[in-house]
Amino acid sequence: MPIVETEKLTKIYGKGETAVTALKDVDLRIEAGEFVAVMGPSGCGKSTLLHLIGGLDRPTSGRVLVDGDDLAELDDTTLTEIRRRRMGFVFQFFNLIPILGAAENAALPLVLDGVKPAVAKAKAVEWLERLGLPDRVDNRPDELSGGQQQRVAMARALTNDPALILADEPTGNLDSRAADEIAGLLRRISSEWGRTVLMVTHDPRIAANADRIVFLKDGTIVNETYLESHGKGEEKQVRERMELL
Amino acid sequence: MSVRNALLGLLGQRPRHGYELHAAFEAVVGGKLNWDVKPAQIYTTLSRLAERGLVVEKALEQAGGPEKRIFAITPEGRNELLEWLAAPVKTEHQRDKFFLKLMLSLATGEVDPGLVIYAQRASLYQELHDLTIQRENVDPASELSRIMMLDRAIMHLEADLRWLDMIEARLDDIRRQPLPEPKARPRGRPPKTKNDSSGR
Repeated sequence: MPIVETEKLTKIYGKGETAVTALKDVDLRIEAGEFVAVMGPSGCGKSTLLHLIGGLDRPTSGRVLVDGDDLAELDDTTLTEIRRRRMGFVFQFFNLIPILGAAENAALPLVLDGVKPAVAKAKAVEWLERLGLPDRVDNRPDELSGGQQQRVAMARALTNDPALILADEPTGNLDSRAADEIAGLLRRISSEWGRTVLMVTHDPRIAANADRIVFLKDGTIVNETYLESHGKGEEKQVRERMELL
Repeated sequence: MSVRNALLGLLGQRPRHGYELHAAFEAVVGGKLNWDVKPAQIYTTLSRLAERGLVVEKALEQAGGPEKRIFAITPEGRNELLEWLAAPVKTEHQRDKFFLKLMLSLATGEVDPGLVIYAQRASLYQELHDLTIQRENVDPASELSRIMMLDRAIMHLEADLRWLDMIEARLDDIRRQPLPEPKARPRGRPPKTKNDSSGR
């Protein structure tokens, strides 16, 4: 079973003559552990797709299934629960709390979930170490570089062990070096730590880290490319080429 | 030409023999993945440089193994090296194989140009993926020239991908335009004109 599946996913903003179709009949399957990048020009529906999959917005028509659960059939409480337990979000602007240290920021979702602060902090520190910030756990956001702040945001997204990480232009606010590092970490989150990563980006270099790139244009998927890495995805690529011919 | 001048430069550092030059060249370009030069090319280039008086055979070294001819740069060689170092390098933008393919797909109608673009894009992304991973695994402390060349390749791929996006966005416009055809030219000799005063 795919971890994410969309069926004829459509989102129309506004009504009547001023209606704008942001997404139209998008069918997308993402397997567990996959790292997928969504690319396309601005206004193509990339972020809308991410928001619908993340349950941050409701579709006009069509369905989003996460782990087989149809998000449309869930009430707000259950949806919030799923968002908190099964998904982690990473945004362009790191959205950290200025008065909290790195570990406290990263531990926040667990603390809000009722986990004891000490346990939550230990978990947060564990992720900060994995993400290369072992000596920054007590620093506040203003004492960290952009790349470091994004690592804290990634640790925050990972502390409650979600299977799915949703990243919306995670490198959009970073210089190219920090961007490369974050992209490399997102790849490890999928390849080493087994999470599924769905990332929206407009940067080819960042997208090239993924297992698969989905190209959106005017709200529909126009192309898909599987990237072969140590044999992974090879079979899919061959199949894809066969279909092309 | 570049290899020749690089050898001049490496001999400008200090006199060396052929084998040493080969190793030094490989090190300075960041490994043979970046620029593979066969030892034979080093030796023939050295002979040519010597013929032109840009390098000179300085000594013969024989310590147990086969004898090694040691070469040194001459003042003429140094002048040529300085000229080369100061001159800019022209980049090449002609003969793009993908562009030829795209134009032929448009001209023949055999394959949808959109498909040609798609295949190219997939291939460029695969290359970008491979290079990105390679770059991550290179040690910046010891393999800086390899990193610089990888960065170059990565940036060129990024530019190619942007160019593809641009072509794709314009594909409908391009389709509407007539494809370039050669200008019609009458066969045979051009007719003589009255003003022809070539005298023949």
